[in-house]
Amino acid sequence: MLFPTFNTAASGLGVFRTWMDAVSDNMANVSTVRPTSEAAFQARFVVASAIGSGQEAVNGAPAGARVTGISFGNAEGRLVSDPTNPLADANGMVRLPDIDMGDQMTQLMIAQRGYQMNLTVIDRAKDAYQQALTIGR
Amino acid sequence: MIDSTGSAIYAALNGLAARQRVIANNVANVETPGYIAGRVSFEDSLREAIRNGNASGTSVSTLRSPDPVNLNGNNVSIDNEVVGLTKTDLAYQLMISALNSKFGLLRTAIGSRG
Repeated sequence: MLFPTFNTAASGLGVFRTWMDAVSDNMANVSTVRPTSEAAFQARFVVASAIGSGQEAVNGAPAGARVTGISFGNAEGRLVSDPTNPLADANGMVRLPDIDMGDQMTQLMIAQRGYQMNLTVIDRAKDAYQQALTIGR
Repeated sequence: MIDSTGSAIYAALNGLAARQRVIANNVANVETPGYIAGRVSFEDSLREAIRNGNASGTSVSTLRSPDPVNLNGNNVSIDNEVVGLTKTDLAYQLMISALNSKFGLLRTAIGSRG
């Protein structure tokens, strides 16, 4: 494989971008109202795991991280009294998702820093590879 | 490769490239639950190989980082990785300069004006 470090860092970029996508989906739906007869909007959680055992990176075989699935949060949500809402039931209750904005913001920051870190790796690797192209010139 | 100096530089470049790949893997897995960071070692083996007069016998090995593990089973320390990445890249560029100087000497010896 040519320039394997790029592929490894790109796999990390993919994981963190997926995570940011999930967080933005969660935040966009933080006030999504559902009738009590339906499930609440469920928070999205990205599940990631390492590619291979860790030995691959030494030999230049494909390595890095990948998204292995998405798991969903609590469908129960929380019941809120909002009698004027057209979706409210006979008791005036509606269902809101159980998503904490503070938690989502923290996740967003972690995902963003992780993304930036992988970009830094690509930048540094590019310098090293470019230097390698000058051998014998 | 050419002579013992060339072989030593070439072995060092190999080891450094492997270390760079392992660091990239550690960074990609900085938040992966249960991931244990990898560490590359080749310097001791290279030193031994040079002492024995055959640098191409250098072996590159990876170890699992002994650093303490987080709650999610991960032990990648991002600051360690950045420092390691910077050192590795600078050492890599230094080795390339050394290799180019070596080629420069050869070019002089051959008598080419290019």
